[in-house]
Amino acid sequence: MRHVVRLAISSIFLLLLFHNSPVYGKVYIDIDSPSFQKFPIAITEFKSLRPGAETGDFPVWFADTLSRNLLITGYFNVIDRRAFLEDPSRAGITGEGTRFADWTTIGAEYLIKGGFQADGRQLIAEFRLFDVMKGELIVGKRYTGTTDDKNRIVLQFANEVLQALTGEAGLFDTRIAFVKKNISAADLYTSNFDGSDLRRITSYNSLTLAPRWSPDGRQLAFTSYKDGKPDIYLRDLVTEKTEKITSYPGLNLPGSWSRDGTRLLVTLSRDGNQEIYDMTVGNRLLQRLTREFSIDVSPVRSPDEKRIAFVSNRNGSPQIYIMDADGGNVRRLTFEGNYNTSPAWSPKGKMIAYEGSIDGRFQIFVINEEGGAPQQLTFAGGDHESPAWSPDGRYLAYSVRGYGRSRIEIMNSNGQNSRVLHEGNDGCLSPFWSPHLR
Amino acid sequence: MKRNMFWVGLIALVLCLSVTFLTGCAKKAAVKSDTATTQEQKAVTKAPSTDDQAAAAAAREKALREQALREQAEKEAAAKAAKEAAEKAKKEAAEKAKAILKELQIPDIHFDYDKYNLKPEAQAILKAGAPAYLKYSGYKLVVEGHCDERGTVEYNLALGQKRADEAAKYLADLGIQKERIKTISYGKEMPLDKESNEAAWAKNRRAHFVIFPPVK
Repeated sequence: MRHVVRLAISSIFLLLLFHNSPVYGKVYIDIDSPSFQKFPIAITEFKSLRPGAETGDFPVWFADTLSRNLLITGYFNVIDRRAFLEDPSRAGITGEGTRFADWTTIGAEYLIKGGFQADGRQLIAEFRLFDVMKGELIVGKRYTGTTDDKNRIVLQFANEVLQALTGEAGLFDTRIAFVKKNISAADLYTSNFDGSDLRRITSYNSLTLAPRWSPDGRQLAFTSYKDGKPDIYLRDLVTEKTEKITSYPGLNLPGSWSRDGTRLLVTLSRDGNQEIYDMTVGNRLLQRLTREFSIDVSPVRSPDEKRIAFVSNRNGSPQIYIMDADGGNVRRLTFEGNYNTSPAWSPKGKMIAYEGSIDGRFQIFVINEEGGAPQQLTFAGGDHESPAWSPDGRYLAYSVRGYGRSRIEIMNSNGQNSRVLHEGNDGCLSPFWSPHLR
Repeated sequence: MKRNMFWVGLIALVLCLSVTFLTGCAKKAAVKSDTATTQEQKAVTKAPSTDDQAAAAAAREKALREQALREQAEKEAAAKAAKEAAEKAKKEAAEKAKAILKELQIPDIHFDYDKYNLKPEAQAILKAGAPAYLKYSGYKLVVEGHCDERGTVEYNLALGQKRADEAAKYLADLGIQKERIKTISYGKEMPLDKESNEAAWAKNRRAHFVIFPPVK
């Protein structure tokens, strides 16, 4: 996923074929609003661009793969193809051959049509997204590559659709790291945004916890007991080399990175008590930020890096606090409940997600950094823990455990459309979302 | 009277003759036996040159063998004794070490939910446990801090560290050098009891003490 798509993507904006298209790039609907309704979209089977040529599985494969990837985003209702009224043998794949009334009748607001041409290994694919109500083309693209690139070609267009309808590209080039724990060991794994391509990152037969993806996506910071005590390590995901970066007596836990990747917030107990430090990764220099004889842990930076949210029990129970980046101006953020931990600062700005205890269970909440009433996002049974934002701030990954099962779930940031990323009898813990891995 | 004399004379003659005869016979027998003796002597004189030497060598060998056996037996006995002594010493040392370890083993202390202050019963356990460490100054200990399964991985790691630190500090205050006490937190990752109920949680919220004997 992260390697550069080698295919030469020639994107032809087919907009020229049509008259007015000022809608391109416009954000249609605020998908972050709690009242957001999913986009009803129809996706037809793809047609061969060379009439009479052997089509193979391509017509259905393109339609199904594109449908699946759009469904994962939680923003679309993909209309069942059996409900379609249009006669595919007579309709073309451009706007000219499309009777939009056939699509409004079945409730579609958006329509995707496509064509392909496969010559041996060479593959050409065209996609067009229409606004059904207006009878207009929104975006059209043509890609050329090999048949090996077909998945990436579909994801590229899915990104275009998201960009056009929501104003932001999708997350198909991101991965999620998490911890899988059995009786004797805990190790790091990563998977794609849709749960596919699960990869094991560590195999230390020890406790390995708290993955923190570096801003360039190349490294994972984590804590492992592999040398008998909890130390912080850096794993280079390209070279697969691992380096120990702190090994102070007691606890060594990573927090969040700086955007430029030069500094890492860490929790250390080396000075006789858990304190938060800002470490320069290159020379391991530490700047101490907290000085309280209480627990201070789980530091996360605000997107502008001017503030840090963290957990402290300085007033008796674990609560979320915010301080300035230099450790000054500490104020308490959460007041409801007696156990609020695991802060995660939205990359979009002001919202902080965390887990809080309510009625004996842990649920995910969000709260504005200015304070105010927290909003509860999860309500199901079991414990919901360790929220982590997607890089676009539109989704939260978190762990759920209870009833003998454990899983990593993803939901839209308004709390809707939760789906399972990974599930097992083993403990699935501490998800952390990668940046875009281009 | 004359007749008597005759019989006496006759008897004497007969006696004489019989003596002569008997002597002659005896001589022959003697000669015969002499020959036998000579033959025997011949055999005896022949032995020192061949058979006698072999016998002596055999005897010597036998003696050596016996001595070797004796020595080996002595050696084995000594080795056995030494081994037994060593085993006994080892066993005694092991028992002693075991006894010391038993003396040094501090039972787990327990904490309230989300707390790390030492309860009076925990303090009593530490007070009872500390003197052994003052007595056996070569021994070190690691204090493990553990939590129950509720709550966050990270916060519990911090909480477990706090529990271990509190216990370590208390032991240091009781006179055990700080350098001999290490702490480690396992957070909620290593529960003793995997059940999800109050009894299990109470068991799992603990500090556990691991003894490290002196390195020889």
